[in-house]
Amino acid sequence: MGPLSRETWAQRLGAFRASPSAFMAGPEGEDLGRDLLSELRSEKLSEQTKISLLALSLEYPAQLWPDATAAEAAATSLLDTLVLLPPRPSALRRPLLLAATTALVAGDALGPASEASRRLLPLLLGLASGRDLGRGFGPASEQRPLQATACECLRELESCKPGLLGGCLGLLRGLLGQEGPVQPLSLLLALALRNTLVIQARARARAGLQGLLMAGDTPSGGEPWNWALAEEGDARLQPQAPSWPAAEEECGLAVLEPTPEEARELRAAVAQLLDASYLLTPVAQAQLLWLLGWALRGLRGQTPVLFKPQLVRLLGTAQLTLLHAVLALKAAFGEALFTAQDEALLLRRLTVAAQHPALPLPAHLFHLHCLLSFPENWPLGPTGEEAAPLLLGPRLCRGLLPSLLHDPMALLARLHLLCLLCVEDEEKEEKGQDGSPRHYLEELLAGLRQRAALDGGPRASATLCFQASYLVVQCLATQPTVLTPLTHGLARLYRARPVLAPHFVDLLDRVGPELGEPLRVALRQEVVSRPGRDEALRWHLQILAEVADGKAQSATLGFLGAAAAHCTDWGLQQALLRVCRALLRAGVGGGLADLLQALARQWEDPDGRDHARLYYILLAHLAGPKLGVALGPSPAAPALASSLVAENQGFAAVLMVQEAPAPIRLSVGPHRAAGPGPVLQLHVEVLEPAYSLELRFRVEGQVYAPLGAVHVPCLCPGRPCRPLLLPLQPRRPAPTRLDVRALYTTPTGLTCHAHLPPLPVNFADLFLPFPQAPEGDKLGFFEELWDSCLPKGAESRLWCPLGPQGLEALVSRHLEPFVVVAQPPTSYHVAIRLPPDSRLLLRLEAAQEDGVPVALRTDDWAVLPLAGDYLRGLSAAV
Amino acid sequence: MAQRAVWLISREPGTPFCGTVRFSRRYPTVEKRAKVFNGASYVPIPEDGPFLKALLFELRLLDDDEDFIESRDSCSHINKTSVYGLLIGGGELWPVVAFLKNNMIYACVPLVEQTLSPHPPLISISGISQGFELLFGVQDFLSLSQKNDTELNTKLNQLPDLLLQACPFGTLLDANLQNSLDSINFASVTHSQKQPAWKVGTYKGKPQVSISITEKVKSMQYDKQDIADTWQVVGTVTCKCDLEGIMPNVTISLSLPTNGSPLQDILVHPCVTSLDSAILTSSSIDAMDDSAFSGPYKFPLTPPLESFNLCYYTSQVPVPPILGFYQMKEEEIQVKITVNLKLHESVKNNFEFCEAHIPFYNRGPITHVEYKVSFGQLEVFREKSSLVWIIGQKFPKSMEINLSGTVTFGAKSHEKQSFDEICIGGTAYLKLHFRILDYTLTGCYADQHSVQVFASGKPKISTHRKLISSDYYIWNSKAPAPVTYGSLLL
Repeated sequence: MGPLSRETWAQRLGAFRASPSAFMAGPEGEDLGRDLLSELRSEKLSEQTKISLLALSLEYPAQLWPDATAAEAAATSLLDTLVLLPPRPSALRRPLLLAATTALVAGDALGPASEASRRLLPLLLGLASGRDLGRGFGPASEQRPLQATACECLRELESCKPGLLGGCLGLLRGLLGQEGPVQPLSLLLALALRNTLVIQARARARAGLQGLLMAGDTPSGGEPWNWALAEEGDARLQPQAPSWPAAEEECGLAVLEPTPEEARELRAAVAQLLDASYLLTPVAQAQLLWLLGWALRGLRGQTPVLFKPQLVRLLGTAQLTLLHAVLALKAAFGEALFTAQDEALLLRRLTVAAQHPALPLPAHLFHLHCLLSFPENWPLGPTGEEAAPLLLGPRLCRGLLPSLLHDPMALLARLHLLCLLCVEDEEKEEKGQDGSPRHYLEELLAGLRQRAALDGGPRASATLCFQASYLVVQCLATQPTVLTPLTHGLARLYRARPVLAPHFVDLLDRVGPELGEPLRVALRQEVVSRPGRDEALRWHLQILAEVADGKAQSATLGFLGAAAAHCTDWGLQQALLRVCRALLRAGVGGGLADLLQALARQWEDPDGRDHARLYYILLAHLAGPKLGVALGPSPAAPALASSLVAENQGFAAVLMVQEAPAPIRLSVGPHRAAGPGPVLQLHVEVLEPAYSLELRFRVEGQVYAPLGAVHVPCLCPGRPCRPLLLPLQPRRPAPTRLDVRALYTTPTGLTCHAHLPPLPVNFADLFLPFPQAPEGDKLGFFEELWDSCLPKGAESRLWCPLGPQGLEALVSRHLEPFVVVAQPPTSYHVAIRLPPDSRLLLRLEAAQEDGVPVALRTDDWAVLPLAGDYLRGLSAAV
Repeated sequence: MAQRAVWLISREPGTPFCGTVRFSRRYPTVEKRAKVFNGASYVPIPEDGPFLKALLFELRLLDDDEDFIESRDSCSHINKTSVYGLLIGGGELWPVVAFLKNNMIYACVPLVEQTLSPHPPLISISGISQGFELLFGVQDFLSLSQKNDTELNTKLNQLPDLLLQACPFGTLLDANLQNSLDSINFASVTHSQKQPAWKVGTYKGKPQVSISITEKVKSMQYDKQDIADTWQVVGTVTCKCDLEGIMPNVTISLSLPTNGSPLQDILVHPCVTSLDSAILTSSSIDAMDDSAFSGPYKFPLTPPLESFNLCYYTSQVPVPPILGFYQMKEEEIQVKITVNLKLHESVKNNFEFCEAHIPFYNRGPITHVEYKVSFGQLEVFREKSSLVWIIGQKFPKSMEINLSGTVTFGAKSHEKQSFDEICIGGTAYLKLHFRILDYTLTGCYADQHSVQVFASGKPKISTHRKLISSDYYIWNSKAPAPVTYGSLLL
């Protein structure tokens, strides 16, 4: 892009400033940084335009040169431009220095490896020392302002890299003692001194403070800047403020113990700075005091009396910053610098400043804040909480109390003080006679309510009234003498202006039960005793939805019943339904059901009707806890969704059964061969609590009769549950699989449905023993059974493999209950009943080493292959 | 103690955004530190557009006061200082120091050198007072001899250069921007070692010292048994010292006549080098007694070049200069009024002007007035629904004057009449406006001999005094009136 005219640049800068992000995203964004640097050397542009370009680079370096490389290049280019300036006076030198410094710091390019940093630092230090840097740096008349600017640049570098100038303390002291500009050098020295002390204290390093402070104007040994110290300081930038007592621990400031020589030198340096502080502007004096306060704070053996000569002068001024700096010293040194009398004087000055007619309102408010956060020598209350200092008695506060004529912020700030006085007043058990703070407080609140009650008054006055009420409750929650009139007053306010309902709801949501409970009752009475129409009804219903609970049911229901007729539009109907909902949650029963039924019949709007019916059905069908969950905030819906959406989602979630991955594990336990029919023994384990568990089974292939469900009231993880018995009614003696479904309720009240893995029912699970054979003739009994199988049944012989344990073990493990005749270890006669009405008879005889021949008969030929599989599988099953 | 950004926003009700950013300045090196110090609680400085919107919302300056908005109107959203948190882009930008003055919003965001959650107390943040001082400085600069929009624009155009001088890196060097402006122009002056930073050059010319004392008297009068009337004098002493030399020493003394009222709550300019403890401790908080320090009040100082406020004080004079009562009774569409004013005999009966303004709020325009005044003239402002009783330069010999009459109002039209929250029903006031030259109510004066100048040449010393009324209210004694705590302590 060629050189741009002044107008084009003005336009471009305007567009950029309007929205930097939009501009940088646009087509011109990319080139802006580069163009700006090259235009600075253009001879066509005026100095003023160039200054405006530099001003832009001072504000938006991160946008113009987004990374360290670009920032380094930009700083280099800016320094080149500076060096190339002709030796005549130019307004560009100052902003060029500032821009180069800003570019390096903002672009994270500042460091020992950066070429631009290595050029900038000596240049700044040379300028700050007042050294003659050659004709490139303009005429002598510019030296003084440039010297100051260089100090400012160095101060900014030191602020961003604490410790960088740790090696220059002596040099700076020397300059301050000679003829350097007092303010820039003082501030720079104070900052460097503070940072050095802090870093040394933190690192518990002793780098020869005395040496640092004493070194003449030529720093000893190489470069004066200290990248190593800066690295230490860099780990965490340190607050410039003397740490307020509360922040002390986190700073972890170790206490430095300087040697007597060091202490003397340090004292001399601080005294030098303080003596000249009068020459600084008030804001700079304040900065100096904060810095020196911090610097001396961690030093053992350094009494802060050095500050004392300054205090009287500072306390007399009207300057916000100076008074604030004195408070910082107070917080830093406490009794060591301020005796009890000093503290009292400071408090009085602060009290005067908080109400002095010559000071502006923002200053009043800040002073009042300082008063309530006053760093007392011996604080009584908990730290961090606003409280009236002990020495600030009612007498001192008299001019600081609120009146209706005050601006809202001033009123609230002063009201807070008044509340604190009332707390003390109560402790002294004074009665609330005329003129007492509490009486005044009541009058004031009444005045605020009166103002808020004005029809057509601004929202701000209503807000103020409720803020004041809230503040009073926060401070005086334990004082019924304050809360009772407040409650009545607010109820009257509602009567006068129901349109303030949202404020009441907000207040009720935020105050504790001390005001909340009586105010709810009062508002409910106010509403139900005064039926309204239209606009007022809308607000009444909003209030009622907030305050309705189980109490005063009939009055509430009566009001709602009467109101229902006036609820002709959707909004009002919904408002009324919200009240019903609140009542449902509060567990109101009978009368509400009638009301809901009436609404469902009476209203024309289908939505209102449906909702009424739904609520009625919920009320009629759901037990209390479930109802609570159904109407409670939905776990599925984010809190911000509209209440209607939340409500619907809540219902959907609660009333529908949720499909869920099963938290339940079901397994078949050992076979129980007893009783009239086969019974499956089930073991249940859960991963999370499940209530009202119902297990439903379906038999694959319908080989058994349908199975009944099994119910378990409650299951908890880790708590063993008795085995569940599932009686089977086989239609055929065949194995099968059971399809299992679980229905249960989660702890959050949701009903869930889960499909469990199918349960196998094995052939052997159906085995039942025959009723006991006559004692003497077991063999005969068996033979009889054996014979009865034929001719209807079937007979087979097969080879049953034996494992290493032999026949005896196999029988005892699997067939024990069914053995009729046993001649261990060689021969067993086994009779098995298979429901519904089949039998299986086995003769195991003449076992050999690896197996036993089995003769088997059954009266049901369909059993034969199953029996064969079973027997062959026995050895493997061991 | 640095600032992250500064804004000036003109308030423009009725326009789409209700305001315009007239000036903004960001400090990226400070922002860099904010990011480190604030850690996870860091919220970046937004662009001007979103900032404007969020600030006006928080200050209730958008035209959407209609509905209850929780984030602004909630009872627990309490601001007791001019420091706000703005919800921007999901985060809270805090602390934003901001105030509205003459339709201009002054705002800045001080650097907080620690984490922002929870908010540290404001008193522990050095940048808060520095921010206030910066904004006060800008405000002073803009309001100094500013007459119209063109001048305002000129001054706004000077701001970027001035802040480059006074606050190059976000750390304020001088809140007196006029000083910075001068220093740009004074650049060629050679400086010596002890040049104060608040004095950019030296004066060359005839030595002269000018001291003017302006007292404002305010009052709240009720004419009721159970409520005490209150009044207070607030004095400002302004000096201009045109003296040669870098650090001329001057001592200015303020004196009181024997029956004068002691000066209290004295706040001095930072150029005052030392202060007597009697001056420091004399305060309106204490009960008055005869032992109160009554001067002379000596102020040794090294004056700056420009005109400066040497000190402010308050004083409790024994009687108000004008004592009166105002009775107003409503009778349907009429009100009957009776006013009585009495000048105290000790007060100089020679006004530059003296007027009593009698506004009628929350009523329609005045349609008819019948009245009788014992002195002066009555002017009727029908549309503004107010009366102005022009008393003139002198009270009559009796020192007492009366006004009685009946005022009839037309129908109220909501558009034109502004709503007043205080003056409802019978609650009403009249406000006195007067000025007396060459006079102070306390008697406080500075004469030629009271000024000591330790510099070459005998300076010409000129002194001025005046008394002005300010917030001088007389409330209708026939209806409730807003009171202060002090009024209840009879």
